[in-house]
Amino acid sequence: MSSTSATPAVALEASGLGKRYGRRPAALDGCSFRLPTSRISALVGPNGAGKSTLLAIAAGLLRPTSGTLTVLGEAPGAARDRISYLAQNKPLYPQLTIAETLRMGAELNPARWDAACAARIVEQGDLDPKSRIRGLSGGQRTRVALALALGKRPELMLLDEPMADLDPLARHELMGTLMADAAEHGTTVLMSSHIVAELADACDHLLLLGGGRVRLGGGIDDLLAAHTLVTGRGTPADLAPHTVIESRTAGRGLTALIRRDGPVGEGWAAEEPSLEELLLAHLRAPEAPALLTPGTTATAEAVTA
Amino acid sequence: MWLTEVTADSAYAALDACPRGEACGLGAAYAYSTAMGWISTVMYYSFWAVAAWAGGALIGRELESGTARLAWSQGVSPARWLTAKLALPAVALVLGGAVFVPVHRWARSAHRDLMGDHLLFNDVFTDHGPLVVAYGLCALAVGTLTGLLLGRPLPALAISVAATTLLNRTPEHLRPDPLPRSDFWPAHLTETGLVLAITALATTAAFSLLHHRTA
Repeated sequence: MSSTSATPAVALEASGLGKRYGRRPAALDGCSFRLPTSRISALVGPNGAGKSTLLAIAAGLLRPTSGTLTVLGEAPGAARDRISYLAQNKPLYPQLTIAETLRMGAELNPARWDAACAARIVEQGDLDPKSRIRGLSGGQRTRVALALALGKRPELMLLDEPMADLDPLARHELMGTLMADAAEHGTTVLMSSHIVAELADACDHLLLLGGGRVRLGGGIDDLLAAHTLVTGRGTPADLAPHTVIESRTAGRGLTALIRRDGPVGEGWAAEEPSLEELLLAHLRAPEAPALLTPGTTATAEAVTA
Repeated sequence: MWLTEVTADSAYAALDACPRGEACGLGAAYAYSTAMGWISTVMYYSFWAVAAWAGGALIGRELESGTARLAWSQGVSPARWLTAKLALPAVALVLGGAVFVPVHRWARSAHRDLMGDHLLFNDVFTDHGPLVVAYGLCALAVGTLTGLLLGRPLPALAISVAATTLLNRTPEHLRPDPLPRSDFWPAHLTETGLVLAITALATTAAFSLLHHRTA
């Protein structure tokens, strides 16, 4: 890799990444971005946007059709012991007990395993270490899978819909555990989710996938600051030179989410959008131009879509 | 062994009890021969079970449930995972064959006069030497390859059994019909070599398929 002395260390760097399954439209197509270390990044996008594919490639489970992805400065397969990956369906060996599952984690990751951390997560859920995985509920399996992922003391966690089948209480508590652990150890986290509230609380970075590439990428604060929600009288054309992401008429007025180019003109009420408003506007407008903040732009090429 | 040591004795006793020239006691001899034949046949076709198990349980189910990915994300590379999956069954097949083949040959030769089989019967031909192990290993490799290709246990199971059956039937038809006894070993070993070559091909294909799919 090129020298990173001047820039923050890089957890993931994708350059022209593509993945095609047979004759179907490409899941990833010319996807380029960079994720600095120690960020908690939300990976969002509509169903089929390539989120799971990107996470699986990063985990070294799937080979891309084109382009490259560097994980912690190495090829994905070479960084296997420094990353944790949690698949969407939380696969575990059903015939093992919880204790045996954690012992497997210890045996397969002898240099890094933190038995106390893994045991603590299981205990918090009032789970009996002697019970078999087969008999656990979906939420309980998620807890064991997370214990396995965190016990490895990874430098990078790749989580595919980690909290989907947890009740709100368990979700809040496990998310707290996950975030505290990541903050304490400086772990980089990339997690896909549909639950915007969960992301707004936990994440400080965003990657929005659409059409197989990153359409919005950067620190959440920077991205929110680059956009403005304006209300006033006029047409979308009146908002030039700003980029109108999405607009709709409300009564005789117009509400629009714009990407600012200079100050907002007079006659428009301006406010900073919430994360949810920013995401929904971009999800509703797939043709909006991509925006990646400088820290999230891949070095190999300038990303303009 | 029970058949050879005990049943055979009772069959002889039944034959001895008959007055000379009469065709009684043959039932006991026939029962002995049939039981021995079944052992040969079951052993011969055990490669079906190996193929079904390798394609279905060993590989297909792990890919479908995602536990293969679980292993690959626990610091075990896919190639190491596959090596570990194949090593134990392969060793078991070789050791099993090393025990079965001599015992079977000893049992078969112990009471030739009670047996109604022939060295050219498909099962006897195969069980007589290393060919039976080669078919087992071949079934393991073909089952593994189909399991990786299809990624689902039931289709993998069906296709593995079909593919190994085809691989077994083809040389069966090519085996020479009236074979002089001295030509048995060349024929047996040639087929063993052929089957092992297919095994090597299927194993290489399985590893390179896994390598191309994963990083």
